[in-house]
Amino acid sequence: MKFVIALYAPPQAPSSRRTLRFAEALLAGGHEITRLFLYQDGIYNAASTQVVPQDEVDLSHEWRQFIQRHQLEGVVCIAAALRRGVLDVPEAQRHARTASCLAEGWTLSGLGQLHEAIQQADRLICFGGP
Amino acid sequence: MSTLHILSHSPFSDGRFSSCLPLLGDEDALLLSGDAVYALQPHTAPHQQLNTLTSSIALFALEEDVSARHLPAWPARVKLVDYPDFVALCCHYDRVNTWL
Amino acid sequence: MNRSLLIICRQSPWSSLQAREMLDIALTGGAFDLPLALLFLDDAVLQLLPEQQPSLLQQKDLTANLQALPLFGIEQLYAARRSLTERGLDELSLGLPVQVLDDPELKQLISQYDQVITL
Repeated sequence: MKFVIALYAPPQAPSSRRTLRFAEALLAGGHEITRLFLYQDGIYNAASTQVVPQDEVDLSHEWRQFIQRHQLEGVVCIAAALRRGVLDVPEAQRHARTASCLAEGWTLSGLGQLHEAIQQADRLICFGGP
Repeated sequence: MSTLHILSHSPFSDGRFSSCLPLLGDEDALLLSGDAVYALQPHTAPHQQLNTLTSSIALFALEEDVSARHLPAWPARVKLVDYPDFVALCCHYDRVNTWL
Repeated sequence: MNRSLLIICRQSPWSSLQAREMLDIALTGGAFDLPLALLFLDDAVLQLLPEQQPSLLQQKDLTANLQALPLFGIEQLYAARRSLTERGLDELSLGLPVQVLDDPELKQLISQYDQVITL
């Protein structure tokens, strides 16, 4: 089956780790991930600037590796990202901000990408909260 | 069409558990994850509410969350699941509704 | 045929970005002409109180955007009777034309949509 996975919680939330474990099991089970979509505080999973203590899980880093390993499409809602200060280089330039921190493998785009993926996939699963 | 509902908030500090249960259809299922597994605590109102759900409603709990919290027991009708089981549930039920 | 989406909102209007960001999902879907419905459950029914003044909190008026839903083709608007009653709201004095549903009707509603998002 084809799944779209939408994540609404930041990397520190247990649900974010749960999302990644679920995504791994999905692919291991022979299913497809149509798109990963980050919304609300989920956009922080796509930031490249967290500094996580060495004895803790660096979920943003794990997401980057997961996306690259499996050549997945990782989309970050641009409106949610901008208001939370996660910008890519073009947006940082456009808005005259001093830094961009969108991690490699992720793309800023609109909510239309979530709707498009919902139309294309067999299942939508959302993760968020604790 | 059947729905797999997913909860992750504690039933004691948050209203999602109480709001979700009356909306479970007879063919639906409920997966407890994260702090929602505390609903399995014996001798509590949430535990009681789970036991009184229509028997056709399937109840599941994410095994890692139950074990991490070292919960002493859970109702016999609650099946503990791992991630591959979780994936299978999502395929089995027509839609997934996570109470974000 | 397009997959239908039911968006269940549970958030009060002025306490976080969540209500606004839920509405953005609805409005975007409407702009793409997708079959969408919105259910106001729990604290989200507080969005339906008429004549609110969020400018006093220096917030944008979310309730004005709710009025725009039919313009985006989103006319299936529902509210949970139990949530209205719990919060002392009169279903005849709401700021938006919604169909008020009891719990059995809400179960029916959920089962009619291909996908559900509960925010």
